[in-house]
This record gives sequence, structure tokens and C-alpha cells, in this order.
Amino acid sequence: MGICYARFACGQCIHTFALSGKVSDPDGRPIAGAVVGIAALGKGTVADQQGVYHMTGLCPGNYTVTCEKVGFRKVSVRLTLDSNSRHVWVLTTDTTELKEVLIAGDRRRMLSTVTREVLESSLKFGSRAQPLGESLKAIPGLNSVQMGPSLSKPVIQGLYGNRILILNNGVRQEGQQWGEDHAPELDPFVAGKISVIKGAAGIRYGPDAIAGVVLLEPAALPATPGIGGSVNLTGASNGRMGVGSATLEGALGHRLSGWAWRVQGTLKRAGNFRTPHYYLGNTGLGESDFSASVGYRKNRFDIQLFYSHYGTKIGIFDGSHVGNIEDLYAAFKRSRPLTPSVFSYKIRRSYQSVRHDLFKASAHYQFGNGGKVEADFARQGDLRQEYDVDLPYSDDPAVLNMPQLRFRLTTHTLNVAYIEPERNHFSGSIGLSGMTQGNVFRGIRYLIPNFRNYTGGAFAIEQYNRNRLTLEGGLRYDYLWLRVYQRDQASLALYHSTFDYSNLTGTLGFRYRLGERFSINGNFGIAWRAPSINELYIRGVHFSAASYEIGDSALVSERSYNTTAGLKYRSEKFQAGLDLYDNEINHFIYAQPLLQPVTIISGTYPAFRYTQADVRLRGADLNASYRFLPHFDLASKISFVRGYNKSIHDDLIYMPADRFDHTLSYRRKKLGRLQDVRLSLQNVTVSRQTRVPPNSDYVPPPPGYSLFNADVGFRLPYRKQGVDMDFAVRNLTNVAYREYLNGFRYYADEPGINFIVSARLKF
Amino acid sequence: MKKAISLTGIAMMVLLWNACNKDEEAVAPPVPGNEFLTTVELKVTNENDPSDTQTASWKDMNPDDDTPPDVSAAKLTLKPNAKYKAEVLFWDDTQSPRGDVTEEIKERENYHLVCFTVSSGLNLTVKRTDHDTNTPALEVGLEDEFTTGATGAGKLNVQLRHQPNVKDGTCEPGSTDADVNYDITIQ
Repeated sequence: MGICYARFACGQCIHTFALSGKVSDPDGRPIAGAVVGIAALGKGTVADQQGVYHMTGLCPGNYTVTCEKVGFRKVSVRLTLDSNSRHVWVLTTDTTELKEVLIAGDRRRMLSTVTREVLESSLKFGSRAQPLGESLKAIPGLNSVQMGPSLSKPVIQGLYGNRILILNNGVRQEGQQWGEDHAPELDPFVAGKISVIKGAAGIRYGPDAIAGVVLLEPAALPATPGIGGSVNLTGASNGRMGVGSATLEGALGHRLSGWAWRVQGTLKRAGNFRTPHYYLGNTGLGESDFSASVGYRKNRFDIQLFYSHYGTKIGIFDGSHVGNIEDLYAAFKRSRPLTPSVFSYKIRRSYQSVRHDLFKASAHYQFGNGGKVEADFARQGDLRQEYDVDLPYSDDPAVLNMPQLRFRLTTHTLNVAYIEPERNHFSGSIGLSGMTQGNVFRGIRYLIPNFRNYTGGAFAIEQYNRNRLTLEGGLRYDYLWLRVYQRDQASLALYHSTFDYSNLTGTLGFRYRLGERFSINGNFGIAWRAPSINELYIRGVHFSAASYEIGDSALVSERSYNTTAGLKYRSEKFQAGLDLYDNEINHFIYAQPLLQPVTIISGTYPAFRYTQADVRLRGADLNASYRFLPHFDLASKISFVRGYNKSIHDDLIYMPADRFDHTLSYRRKKLGRLQDVRLSLQNVTVSRQTRVPPNSDYVPPPPGYSLFNADVGFRLPYRKQGVDMDFAVRNLTNVAYREYLNGFRYYADEPGINFIVSARLKF
Repeated sequence: MKKAISLTGIAMMVLLWNACNKDEEAVAPPVPGNEFLTTVELKVTNENDPSDTQTASWKDMNPDDDTPPDVSAAKLTLKPNAKYKAEVLFWDDTQSPRGDVTEEIKERENYHLVCFTVSSGLNLTVKRTDHDTNTPALEVGLEDEFTTGATGAGKLNVQLRHQPNVKDGTCEPGSTDADVNYDITIQ
């Protein structure tokens, strides 16, 4: 990476040293493209996407080293170089050039014409202790579908499950995404940064991403020799939850220069959660995760190996066990669960146990022309076991200990991409991706069959940047082959059915800056999604929903035409953003209620068959913040979504209700001995969902609710980096409410007041 | 660096080879030893006339399927003003010889309760006569006494309630494992 000039030949001295480190802004965000240089040697290097720079071959001596980047104030320091050294640069923005920085930051990043939002990790580090779906609600337009307090799946602009792609460390998260009670199998503490792309992002990350992509990216491995790390601790009163996560990382020096490593682990334990009036029996959980990575970088080459394990056991609320529809109605009529519960950490039947292992190998190579090739290979194993509340009817101890449902999904993915250097205002990338999955189902009762699939895709994205304008377009083709293996119930003979799907994905968009503070963007994207295995083949009772679901193997792919438009305004005191979208999805797959209920031995169940219709999702996500007094901000986030079934001229079921989120905050960089002090009071108001099709649900959607949350956070000076502390109170007024998108709304209230304390020590 | 590349190459080859294990092609057969609840029988014996023995049967051979159950034999004709000893029997008829599920229910009697609901117009009272080993002992309902009144006809609903750790003698707690109806005629 270092550039040698002829004036000072390289290797003039016997011992040369390296200078490396990181360039970031005062909030710790990396500044990519910052130039670190030593004028006296005529040497310079450019910080990479993670803000990391590395200069080698430096002779010992005293030098003036500078770090600069357009939009930031140039910094110079005098350094004595007598060993491999590390220097961390913190650049402050040069306000006169702020706008240039904004555009430069957006530039060259793919999919820059759709809205991308970053979850503020530095401010709410304690939020990593929450399920991913919960913490993402801080982003306008995001919601979560839940099954009780500990199972949460993200919803982007009204869509969830298989329609959202979660990219964990660059790898498509592949578990059993189809189930509403199948939460993403990952540890948010692994991620240094969590961001969300709202809109058609399938072009880059593969089909399925009809609604958007959630990206979890670990921080870059350290570049400077030495050892560092962090410890995060969180305790919460509700559920008496304790979460601990620790990271240890380092880079090696001398002969092993270029090697870096990181190990990380998380432990989580919670008992029964409590609503304002009663405990939720058997809602405890235990989780233990760890990950390890090792990387090597030299000159233009970078290779990394990553392994992570996620393991959890989650109790299913015992008030939600209903046999049939009569039980469900009886449960709903009660204002509280029939059997009172007390606090306990014990997890009884029913529960689910999930293990997810990920191995990833990736390599990057930077060409002399500035282009870059990236390749990664990953293997994921996902094992989900579900134990019903009742033991199987058997005398055989082996059968008694068996889960009623067991799914094992093994996924292999391989991606290769070439990122072109910017030339004549054009930049872009091309790539290939491949995936294969094998699903093995073994259960006492049937739910979904075994399958094997192969997917292959190729994409090209091109971007044009000139002055205030960014234009972007891309095309992608994917082919999916699926073979489903089954056994005839009567003859036990094996048979299989084969399907294939192929489709084009496309995107076209622009971003344009109007004047100093204003920018607009628009994007049109076509995406598709092949029907998932449950939509094709499920046949059985969904216990917690007391419904009988029937798949349809004749379903065809969904096709989405998503038009998004956004505008952003930013000044010293005021900033605002608005995203509008119109997502027309043809052949949208959903479970349609059948008129004829299904009678089996355990009772009569309403039946649902997977079917297709043309639907439309329209909505708006608005956010605005205003500094009305020095240190005081008022921030608002408002989201609306309207789902409409164009085929049957009716509303779409399970659309998030209108959500209003207002936060009043007070911030000081320094207050006495404390740094980064912030106090905030938040109100979240959710309306009642009134747009539901008739006879599609057992009971009407619950009434709207309004919650208050409070937060106090600061940094205590301690050694070099300080200790971050955060005190939060959720549901401050202890309101009893139910949420429409929570599958347990039939049985119980949401959790009541919760006091949370988090501490983070970096070293 | 070369070492790192070759190590990764080996690791990838091993993993790709693993990928070729076609586990999914060997679809697991039904779990041996597991019993499905397919049939609920009511066996009644007239206490004054042991020759008056009848069995009503409610059968669903595809318990996980939406094909309708066979209710053609789910009926009883009882004498008026009589007492019957009754047994509720649960079977797995997907196996041959038929699997006895009643036995497993009896083994876990502290978690189970059989509940009866008589429709209006049917003069029948049902009293459970067996007890579990809870303290105090609670009724189970696998063995019962039917007392008939005047002539009439109606439906008798029989439910097997599954009440792990929550059994309190009433039908309300827990969830339903079986929920079937019989046509009863008293004449």
C-alpha cells in the first residue's frame, strides 16, 4: 500500500519499522480514504474502508507525520520511530466542507441510491443485549414480529421472514427463516456495526431481499501489534436477565507482522418475564455464543478465517399452549393466564433449542489499478429442535427424549466479486455467487419435507458519479434448482419432486444534491423470491397459533417492483429525512383462511392454505430532529405502511400499525468529570391496526398503546478509554398492552417495567 | 502466505466434500415406538346386565392430515334410568396390532384429565371413578360411571386434556390432546 518515491530508495537502512493504526471521527466512525503521509520520506498511504492504515519500510528517526482528508481538519504530529508503532488519528470535521464529505462518503458504495440506515451502536451499546429485531426498531420503518418476549424477527417496511435477507459478516444467514417463531440465529455482539438497506437490494445480495437487507459487520481486525479488547455487561430487572460479552483481539508484530486475531464470547440468561400484573410462565432463556477469527494481511493481500457458534434454549410461554380453536377462544377471553406463575429460571417443555455454526474463509486482493477482487466461502449448519409441551405417546425412552420437530439445514455459499476502480466517473462491480442447501427433517409429527437446492447467480452494478449526481444501474440473473424428498405415508416408498426457478433482478436509481444541505434520491428495483419450503409443502398444526396450515406445491415465484424515493435535509440545528415507497408484489404468497375448518383428533382447527395474490405495500418513513436549545434535541420518527391485496380488493393481514417515536434528549461532551453525557426521554405510540381483512383473525387487533422509556448514559474516565455506563428504564409507566405483531397477543400482555444497567470497558 | 492459501484450500475441499453427503435423500421413516392417537373408544357395560356391552369408536387414521375422520361407529344406544360402567380407550390404529395409548396416558395420569360435556336434551350424567397419585388425589376419567335418565338423544363430547404441572381437578388448564363427539341415544 505504501508508495515509494525514487528520491529515497526503499530499504536504505538495515532495520525498518511499520507505522499503522486507525483514522476515525470523534464518534469512532472510521474515515476511509484518509491519507497518512511523511513528507520527509515522500511516503504516504490511504486508510481502507475500516479506517485502517499501514505504512512499512520506515527507517528509524524523527518525523512529522500528517493525516488529512477532504472535509476534515488536517492534523500533524511529531513522532519518534524506533520500533513498530501505532498511531490513532481522530479527525474533526471542517464544517465548510461538510457537504463534500457527505457525498464522498456515499460515493462508490454500491446501492447508494436506496436508503441505508446505521444503528447507532456507540450511543446504545447496551442494545446488543436485546434480540436483534427489538434493537432494530430504532430505525424508522422497522418493526418486529414476535412470539413472546424473547423471540423477535425484524420487519422492514411491512415485510419479514424470507423476504428479508440478514447478512452476518458477509454471509447470508440461512436458518429456518420461514417460521414466525424462528428468530435469527446470531449474536448481535459479534457485529461492530449494524445497518439496514430499505428497498430492493437483491441485486447485490441475491434474490429474496424483496424488502431489504440487515447487515451485521464485525469491526476490522486490529492492525497495530498489541492486545486489546472490551467487556460488556448488562443486567435487566425484568426476567432478571444477565448478559455478558467479552472480546479479546490483537495483532502480531515482528516476523509475524500482518497476522491479527480476535476471540469473542457471549453468555445470556433470563428467567420468566413479567407483565405489569403477572409473570409469564416458562419464558426463560439461556444463550451461549462464541466466535474466533484470524486474519493475515500483507501488501495487497488479505485473508480471513472466521468461525462462530450460536446456541440457545428458549422456553415457550406456558399460557400459549392451546390444543384447538376452543382453547384459543377460552385463552383470549381471560384477562390473564389461567395458571398463575412465579419467577423461575427453569425452562420446562415446551421449548426450542437452536444451534447455528458458521465457518467462513474470505480473501481480498487489491490490484495496482485500484480494483479489488473479493472471494468468500462459508458453511453454515443450523439445527433446530422443538419440544412440544406433551411428551410423545411412547414407552421407549429414546422416543420420549426426542424433539417433536427437528430440522437440520446445511448451507454452503461461495461468492466472488470484482470491484472496478473508479475511472472517468464510472465505478462498479461484477460478481458470481453460488449456494447449496440440504434440509433434513426428522420429527414425530410431520411438518416440512427434506430438500436439496442449488442456486447460482451473476450480477453487474455500474455507478456514475459526477459533481452532484450519482446514477446507478444493475442487473442480476439467478437460477434455483430444488428437489424435495418425501416418503409415501402408506407404502413408505421414497419419491421426489423437482422444481426450478430463474429470474432477472434489476435496479436503476439516482441521487442528486440540491444546494448545500438538500439531497434527493430515487430507485426502481425488480426483485423475486422463490416459494419457500413451508409455502410449498407444510401440512400440519401450528400449535401456538392453533391453525392448520396447508402448503401448495404449485406456487410460482413472487415478483416485486419496488419504487422508492427519499429526501434528506441537513443543517446545523435541523435535519430531516423522508422515505416513500411503493412495493407492488405480484404472486405474493400468503396463508389464506379456508371456509372449511379441519377436524383431527385433537379438535377442530381453522385451516389456512398458502395462495398467491397481487398486493401493494405503500408507506412512508419520516425522521426529523431539531436542536431547539443548545444541548437539547427533539427527534421524531414516524412510520406508516398500508398493505392492500389487489386481487381480492382487501387489506393485507399482519401489517405493522402506525408508529410514532419521539425522543427528547440532552447531550454534553463533558459535564464535570463525565464525558459524553446524555439523558433522554422517549415516547413510543403505536396506533390500533384497523386495516385488517374481515374473518382473517380470531380476535380483532389489540388497542393502540403509548410507552415511555428513559435513558441516562455517560463515560467515566478510567485509564485510557474510560468506562461507558448506561441506565435505562423501559415501559416507565408500567403500561399493560398487547402488540398486534406479537403472536402471543391472544394469551398475555407484553412485559412491564424493566430497569436495565449496562457497562462497557474497553482496553 | 502460500501456506495460508493452501490451508484454506484444504479446508474448503473438506467442507465441499462434506456438502456432498446426501443426508436429505434418506427421508426418515416414521419414528418406531411412537404412537399416534388415532382412535377414541367408549366402552360401556350395563351394571345390571353384563351382556349389554357396547363400544363406540371415533377414528382418524391420518391424525396429521386434513382428511375427515371416520365417525360412522361413534354412537351408543343406552337404556333409560340405568347405570353403565364406562371406559375411555385411546388407540393407535396405524400399527398392527393396534397400539394401546391408554397405557401411556395412565402412566402419566397426573398430567391428564378426561372431560365430558353432555348436550342439552340428553339425560346423561358422567362421574369419573378413577384417581391419580397427586396429593390430594385428583380424578382422571379413564374409568367412569354413566347414569341415564329419561329417553332422548344428543351429543357427548369427550376431551382428553393435557395438564402438565397445572392439573387442579378442573378442565380449564392445559391444552387439548383429543376432542371428539359421540351420538348418544337413550331409548
